[in-house]
Amino acid sequence: MWQTFLDDCRLCFIKNNRWQYLFDGLGVTLQVAIQAILIGIVIGFFVAVIRSSHDKYGRFPVLNALAKIYLTVIRGTPMVVQLLITYYIILKSIDSKVIVAVLAFGINSGAYQAEIIRAGICSIDPGQMEAGRALGMGYWKTMFRIILPQAVRNVLPALGNEFIVLMKDTSIVGYIALIDLAKGGDIIRSQTYSVYVPYLTVAAIYLILVMFFTWLLGKLERYLRNTGADVVQNNS
Amino acid sequence: MGKELLKIENLKKSFGPLQVLKGVSTNVCEGEVVVVIGPSGGGKSTFLRCLNLLETPTEGTIWFNGQDIVHASEREKNHVRSEMGMVFQHFNLFPHLSILGNITLAPQLVRGLKKKEAEAKAMELLERVGLADKAKAYPQQLSGGQKQRVAIVRSLAMNPQVMLFDEPTSALDPEMVGEVLNLMKALAKAGMTMVVVTHEMGFAREVGTRVCFMDGGLLVEENAPEAFFDNPGHPRLKDFLSKVLK
Repeated sequence: MWQTFLDDCRLCFIKNNRWQYLFDGLGVTLQVAIQAILIGIVIGFFVAVIRSSHDKYGRFPVLNALAKIYLTVIRGTPMVVQLLITYYIILKSIDSKVIVAVLAFGINSGAYQAEIIRAGICSIDPGQMEAGRALGMGYWKTMFRIILPQAVRNVLPALGNEFIVLMKDTSIVGYIALIDLAKGGDIIRSQTYSVYVPYLTVAAIYLILVMFFTWLLGKLERYLRNTGADVVQNNS
Repeated sequence: MGKELLKIENLKKSFGPLQVLKGVSTNVCEGEVVVVIGPSGGGKSTFLRCLNLLETPTEGTIWFNGQDIVHASEREKNHVRSEMGMVFQHFNLFPHLSILGNITLAPQLVRGLKKKEAEAKAMELLERVGLADKAKAYPQQLSGGQKQRVAIVRSLAMNPQVMLFDEPTSALDPEMVGEVLNLMKALAKAGMTMVVVTHEMGFAREVGTRVCFMDGGLLVEENAPEAFFDNPGHPRLKDFLSKVLK
């Protein structure tokens, strides 16, 4: 039993340097996930500010309509289908599958992050905007220095959840033949006909990644709570 | 009496079908303490919020230092607001910033002060209101009265030409009302121009240079405090005073 397991491991990882499938795949997974998260954050903030500026103050009617279409389409269609459409239709001319995946996941995550951040903005008392404006600060200054720092702090757990979901969702990039961690494990399985060791290893690596990420977010959350989140002062 | 700082003419404000202000005309001169009293829903707060354009008037004009501010550009409006301090009923301190951060943010972002200068000025003001030891604290660590004093300091740090107070003591526990009123009295004594919406009749009588009674969206009566309280003219004001001054 023990001997069989060791033989399996040897076959799956050491023979023909198969561990490299997992190692390289992990690199691709991290690359896609982290870049997509960053793109998602930028889109998310932009869309959230437009949406809430419109709902509260009637600003940006055109941009708001576009943002609503974006949210509807992205949240209304499956990620795999979006990935395939991005790869085969929208970005047909781009060779790098990593770039295709980053954009597809970034645009997808942006929609979910936008709604999370919008919820955060809605949670802030209108008196905060009034106090900022009454001091002579413009709308954008107040939004960026007063509203958003508080909004983000309020929704950090939900944002963290979105990051974790995104990281695991990247495991579908195999659909466009991009070899990430999941696909790497799948290739090992197809070469060795061994199922337990490759898949369980892949699962364990994802789990460790997510646990690390959760720990990091928890630290950030505690930091923001304990220091009273002196974001603005540190920036200036 | 100093020069005319604010001139309000035929100010009207509607929220949808509801007309809250039905044509208010008055003025505020330098060094005056104008106290606005009246029943809830009479338009007092809306009137005050129109003065620094937190609410856009539906009709009428407001001149600040001779400039029509209702029809000014967004940039000019921001500048006008920076010249008017506003103190809110619920303080509206920024909970993510320390007390010092609350006070120094706008002077840095709006006036372009260096961080050091802004902090020096903030500490000087905090010293004056006896809260220097709270500079590093956060708003949630302060009592209501302390919060409101910090909010007043936050406005003062911008060197405003006029201060607007929107029921500054209404959200306070009774034993904390005094410290805030005392600070406002000191400000008045130092010559600050103030427009105060309040239910504190004692303050109106003692500190006000003019008292206004607003009801039903109209400025029903305005007069010097003694005449206002001892000799009310309008029946609605008589009725109101008989209820609040027992």
